[in-house]
Amino acid sequence: MSAAVASPLPHGEGLAARRALRDARIRGATFLALGVASFYFASSSFQTPAIFGFRIYTTGRETFEVATSVGLLWMIAGLAAALVGALQLWRGATFRWRPWLLVLLAPYVTVILGALLNGTTANLTRVLSGSFELATPLTLGALAGILSERSGMFNIALEGKMLIGACVSVVVGSVVLGATGNMFAATVAGVSAAMIAGGLLGLLLAWLGIRHRVDQIIAGTVINIGAVGITNFLFLRVLGSSPELNTPPNVSAMQLPFLSEIPVLGPLLFSLRPYVYLSIILVLVLTYLIYRTRWGLRLRASGEKPAAAGTVGINVLQIRYRALLFAGLICGLAGSYLPLATAGSFQMQMTAGKGFIALAAMIFGAWHPIGAFAAALVFGFADSAQALLSILGAQVPPQLLNSVPYVVTIVVVAGVVGRVRGPASAGQPYEQG
Amino acid sequence: MKSLRSLLRRAIVPSLAVVTALLLGAVVIILTDFENLSRIGTDPLGAIGAAVGGVFNGYGAMLTGAFGDPERIRLAFENPSDRTIATAIRPITETLVAATPLIFVGLAVAISFRTGMFNIGGDGQLIVGALGATIVGVGLQTSGLPSLVILVIAIAASVVFGGLWGFIPGFLKARTGAHEVITTIMLNYIGAQVVLFALLGPALRAPGSSQPISKNMSAWVDVPSIISLPAIRLDYGFVAAMVMAAAVSLLLFRTTKGYELRAAGFNMTAARYAGMSAGGSMMLGMTLSGGLAGMGGGFLVIGATGQLTNDLSGGIGFNAIALALLAGLRPSGVVAAGLLFGALTTGGKVMGIQSGIPFDLLFFIMAMVIMFVAAPGLIRSIWRVRVPKPAPEVASVAPTAPAEPV
Amino acid sequence: MRLELREITKRFPGVLANDRISISVDKGQVLGLLGENGAGKTTLMNILSGLYKPDSGEILVDDQPRVFSDPHAAIAAGVGMVHQHFMLVPVFDVVEAVALGAETVRGPLHTFDRAAARRRIVELSERYKLNVNPDLKIETLPVGVRQRVEILKALYRQSDILVLDEPSAVLTPSETEELFGIIRSLAASGTTVIFITHKLNEVIEVADKIVVLRRGRVAGTADPKTATRQELANLMVGRDVELIVPKGPAKPGDVVLNIKDLVVRDDRLELAVKSVDLDVRAGEILAIAGVQGNGQTELVEAITGLRTIDSGEITIGGRHVEKATPRQVSDLGVAHIPEDRGRDGLIAFMSVAENYILDTYHRQPYSRRGVFDLKAVDERATQGVRDFDIRTPSIRTLVTALSGGNQQKVVVAREFSVPVQLVIAAQPTRGLDVGSIEYIHRRIVEQRDAGAAIVIVSTELDEVLAVGDRIAVMFDGRIVGILSGDDATLENLGLLMGGAKFGEGTAA
Repeated sequence: MSAAVASPLPHGEGLAARRALRDARIRGATFLALGVASFYFASSSFQTPAIFGFRIYTTGRETFEVATSVGLLWMIAGLAAALVGALQLWRGATFRWRPWLLVLLAPYVTVILGALLNGTTANLTRVLSGSFELATPLTLGALAGILSERSGMFNIALEGKMLIGACVSVVVGSVVLGATGNMFAATVAGVSAAMIAGGLLGLLLAWLGIRHRVDQIIAGTVINIGAVGITNFLFLRVLGSSPELNTPPNVSAMQLPFLSEIPVLGPLLFSLRPYVYLSIILVLVLTYLIYRTRWGLRLRASGEKPAAAGTVGINVLQIRYRALLFAGLICGLAGSYLPLATAGSFQMQMTAGKGFIALAAMIFGAWHPIGAFAAALVFGFADSAQALLSILGAQVPPQLLNSVPYVVTIVVVAGVVGRVRGPASAGQPYEQG
Repeated sequence: MKSLRSLLRRAIVPSLAVVTALLLGAVVIILTDFENLSRIGTDPLGAIGAAVGGVFNGYGAMLTGAFGDPERIRLAFENPSDRTIATAIRPITETLVAATPLIFVGLAVAISFRTGMFNIGGDGQLIVGALGATIVGVGLQTSGLPSLVILVIAIAASVVFGGLWGFIPGFLKARTGAHEVITTIMLNYIGAQVVLFALLGPALRAPGSSQPISKNMSAWVDVPSIISLPAIRLDYGFVAAMVMAAAVSLLLFRTTKGYELRAAGFNMTAARYAGMSAGGSMMLGMTLSGGLAGMGGGFLVIGATGQLTNDLSGGIGFNAIALALLAGLRPSGVVAAGLLFGALTTGGKVMGIQSGIPFDLLFFIMAMVIMFVAAPGLIRSIWRVRVPKPAPEVASVAPTAPAEPV
Repeated sequence: MRLELREITKRFPGVLANDRISISVDKGQVLGLLGENGAGKTTLMNILSGLYKPDSGEILVDDQPRVFSDPHAAIAAGVGMVHQHFMLVPVFDVVEAVALGAETVRGPLHTFDRAAARRRIVELSERYKLNVNPDLKIETLPVGVRQRVEILKALYRQSDILVLDEPSAVLTPSETEELFGIIRSLAASGTTVIFITHKLNEVIEVADKIVVLRRGRVAGTADPKTATRQELANLMVGRDVELIVPKGPAKPGDVVLNIKDLVVRDDRLELAVKSVDLDVRAGEILAIAGVQGNGQTELVEAITGLRTIDSGEITIGGRHVEKATPRQVSDLGVAHIPEDRGRDGLIAFMSVAENYILDTYHRQPYSRRGVFDLKAVDERATQGVRDFDIRTPSIRTLVTALSGGNQQKVVVAREFSVPVQLVIAAQPTRGLDVGSIEYIHRRIVEQRDAGAAIVIVSTELDEVLAVGDRIAVMFDGRIVGILSGDDATLENLGLLMGGAKFGEGTAA
């Protein structure tokens, strides 16, 4: 194969203009083909009803149902795909199709859900609010990743930090709960301890990378493997024989006053766990901090071109240490979500790759907090829908559904859905005189 | 003499890294020994003594579990019979059995790191390779072919399956720039799901079992044993691992392909300017890497275990990273480090059974080994020894990769 | 402000980079600091900017001793730097890039007060006629403008002492003139300027006072009104320098490299080479002059097979190579000395021997059927080290441990280790000391006399004039003129490099 085709290097992209146009045409044709295929599916499925239910109030059982047919949904999805395909072909390589892809996602997800349910009524309130819940650890992890990488440090240790955070929150939370019996105090103690543990690991990662110039991927691997080892060890040696250390407080859903009484939207958006609200607040706050403040300006400078920051007297290394500390705190918070909010106890390797999926959400979201939140929601929805489908007994092997987030992650990092540019200097050590 | 001294010099950091990591492991054992430590208020010396004793127990069990019990060895000498000899040498042969897949995957990691690719996907490549071997092994059950023929086909299948699992991230990196760390980790999870799916299907599953376990193939296909004694599992898979180590060494340092791989690993642009195909090197390096890991899986599943389970790898992929770094990415070093890790693994299991110290502590110890090898400055400041300084940029391309004669 | 350095000494392991350097410059004066590569200019500059701490000696600002412990202290003392490699964040806009590190903030969260910063930048830009649009992204700006942004950065911090490091390296002659105008007006308004360069003409033109550095010491001072180029060059190098490479007249033979209507795009898909026609004959040196970034890099990459072309023809020795791979081009007997040897020409963490065979390893005698003959490799590498006088402890030494000059010799030795019909040398002497420059030039002339066709791409007019039998000038992706070596002067080349069209000077 010729070097020019195989090479990922910037020097290899001579024909890229023509290639971009060709890609645009292929993309357009693909969208059109998708549309045509959807019409084909529609033709055979007008008889299949698609019924989606929404709970009206947080209390009580009344639901409000949207009933349509799978065929109609295919029609809508197909029209949307054909429209995007036509736009793509018309506008060529300059067409900004990424946002449109997200627009397309909605009808397709709906119709695939409908097709898989095959006539069974599905309660979407659970699925959608579940998406928010399942997106929360991913959002938090992605925020931690954004902080690290914006400062110029790779952070593949999200997984390990979350795992340690999960374990620490359980142990400390259980101890405080056992000693005081106060659920709130135990929760606060467990979450804070998890955050501190995460923060310390963040500092360790920074110290290895900056002080000892350990490759940041290797340093992250150290934390990831070490976290599995130490938490498995603790689980088997200590938690197994002392269940009182593995009965943490439980963070349950919170009905926001007034808002949770809004019909349909109330149960959907305003009766979630405090974690969800906290993560959304963090998304907004970090967006402001990164893009509007002095701190954010300097953070981005150290990730993009540390020498430019260093020569005007900014302490790049300090910025990186602090960024990793904050990233660690957030990671610990993310880790504590798993046992305290969902599982109810610590389990071995309970993060199950969430740290890496968070990393993918960061990339998918173009290193922007709001983008990452949107990406996390997509992953959360996939997870949530999968739970629904397996409960309703759809004819899909669970292993296939389990693989979806991982496959999507590969597709995302491979840039199949559009390449985005990360901080230019992430992962490169910076020598400060 | 000179080469011996340079060998010793090179061995300082890895040896001290292992020692320091084991000491840290001991600290963890002591700190979690609540049973003894709870007496610290009333009987501080006794409590600490007992906790430290627990470490000695555990590590002692690890040692005898890995290399043999002196008492049993004495018995074997006094009263040599198949049974006593087998009992005496079983620990050491089990160490070699455990070392075999570690060496395969360690070589896989070394070759990929040398190519500048951080292959974290050893686990996935190993288990998918094992799946390939199992499909062939189970599929040829009624073929009537001799065991050796089935073995060769099964191993070939494991190389192809593992190679494919390695090729995917190599291809994605070369074509799209997708970071191989993320893609290989994702392929680990996907590989596990694929294997689970295959094992739960009717074709491979052991009859009468609801667990994800394949049929036991040892009745019609097996890797020949080196020593035919009861309960001794050591087979020619170990020899194959040695042969592959030699082959990888020759490939990397004696052939133009290996030179291309290493050149691309250090500096993609310069490799391209010199007329090499950098993308081709990435794909080749990752495919070879995956193939080696897959072959390890093939020998493991046909030889040592005889059947495929979904937890076959047991973290070998991650340990192999520690091992390859410890070995300075040299094939000969991988063999040495593989034997050491094999001993730790075998001994660690015995430690788990005899002293109740969970085996998983080893993952922590391995992580510490990686940390100390990658940050020799830590070793320097802990042990107050002069250690050779690694070249600065090497760590960011191919960790601790030294200059080798062509 | 008056700046004085007294007895500044800075030592690195094995090197005395600055040896008791004493320099002073008065308020409103322009000091030209002249020295070749490795003379200690950069170290001195880093000391001035607070990045390095001197081992001994003191810095006085307005006769007050000051300690520049970090860049902050230097900035606070009024020293502003314009680095050779711009220190601007590419994805920032001008306002963010300039204000970085000296932001005005408001509110509890230290919100960056963009409007205030922008006002100030607009005002400064107008006062000093810098003509910078504050809302554009740095990465979209041409280099000349980026440099003005760097100057804005210093002014924004109210620097009274402006230090410019090799500021003309990336500028066209007319941009350089513009820069000199800015420097003069800054000096007139009371700013002290230190202008670091290795270009003799520039110090003579713009400085009020010249200090020459050599091997870490002050070699002498000169008055620009009376100093001659030759005097300064002697001071700089310590002996008589031959500004002319000794070579006989060219004896051009057959056309080896023929380029017709070549169009090439750069990485951002912009047209970089716009219809270039070129002939290079055996036994002649064609020098391609031009300011960096006018398509030379892309032209070289297209010839050597590293970059796919849009359209046009390239033949080497009569063979079409438009679609050839780098390997196929190299196998035709084309030597390529790449522009950035550290990145493209060498593998830093491989040994001298391994680098010596980097693009010939697949040929005999180094390897046969994919297996190395290690003895042959060692023998040839040893031979190459001896022939090219490469100073290295052994052929097993890592290339990264060698000096820049010796690294480049490894590249040249390798490229000339096989018979060549065409040599493409991009910036072959960039960053080298005079001794190595002379050596490399001599070797290239030897290749010419042996009958190879030579293309040298250089931004250094001195080099172009010294080695070129013919000189082509590239501007904005086109060859805007080809002069014979005898007709070319600094003046007419300068005009062409700035984009002036040259009468009938088309392809020879």
